[in-house]
Amino acid sequence: MTKTTSQSANETTSFGFQEVPVAEKASKVRDVFDKVASKYDIMNDIMSFGLHRQWKDAVAARLNPRPGETIIDMAGGTGDLARRFKKIADRAQYRNGGDPARIIVCDINEEMIMAGRAQRGEGGLEWMVVDAETLPFEDNSADAYVISFGIRNVTNIPKALREAFRVLKNGGRFYCLEFSKPTDDFLQSMYDVWSFKAIPKIGGMIAGDEQPYQYLVESIAKFPDQLTFKKMIEDAGFSRVGITNFAGGIVAMHGAWVIK
Amino acid sequence: MSEIDPKLLEVLVCPLNRTRLIYNKERQELISKSARLAYPIRDGVPIMLENEARELEADEKY
Repeated sequence: MTKTTSQSANETTSFGFQEVPVAEKASKVRDVFDKVASKYDIMNDIMSFGLHRQWKDAVAARLNPRPGETIIDMAGGTGDLARRFKKIADRAQYRNGGDPARIIVCDINEEMIMAGRAQRGEGGLEWMVVDAETLPFEDNSADAYVISFGIRNVTNIPKALREAFRVLKNGGRFYCLEFSKPTDDFLQSMYDVWSFKAIPKIGGMIAGDEQPYQYLVESIAKFPDQLTFKKMIEDAGFSRVGITNFAGGIVAMHGAWVIK
Repeated sequence: MSEIDPKLLEVLVCPLNRTRLIYNKERQELISKSARLAYPIRDGVPIMLENEARELEADEKY
């Protein structure tokens, strides 16, 4: 994959299988999500056979949000994951007392944020439009940072990881859920057929446009494998990075701790 | 039009230089004096992106 460390005019980065100037990736990704915002949740169900719900439940259980914590749900889109965090934190608060947890849904895409609030309400969450590479939070201000199916759309991934490390407190937790590499060759070949042949067609039928889904499957294929990504997280400063594979490695959760 | 949650303002800083922001209720903007930018708040949602922010006029009061 193309690493982008500076933003000179000639530098390019991957946009699916295409190479585009670094400065253009963010707006191209935004176009993709503008087109799919209203159908986002149903398309996730179809593409993953409903499994994305289990993966998100697993992240929420592992994170185990506590009363009084500040949790950043980056690339939180329609708030799917944040609503799970809220439920767990509220239940713990009901049993044990304490302050409510603050769960902040952040996404670079305004359409996704507005679609989430309109379709399912604010849900006691805080919502804002934010770029993962320049977070509007102070150093050491958050207890947890989660990014679910979002990191591969970020232009400068190392920069976003360093920002996550910066805003997390000592002892803070980091979780990333993302498409990864199947560990089995047969599964990989089946998965390639499903993603390259079927998903863009289904996207075309449900959301009315194949193009955004073509981008999604290409960006998944370009994303680094489990161990390469683990190294990137460590390079940003995180400690004790762990990997949990789901569905044979089609999706992986990376978890890490902040020790400052 | 929903109001911004006052608690949200406590955690926010300017994404460019991480200084405190001033809330302009009438214009629904968050102002970064040091970056000379006003970040819009739309329907109670702060839009913390540089390319969506308005540059402050030279003599602008806030």
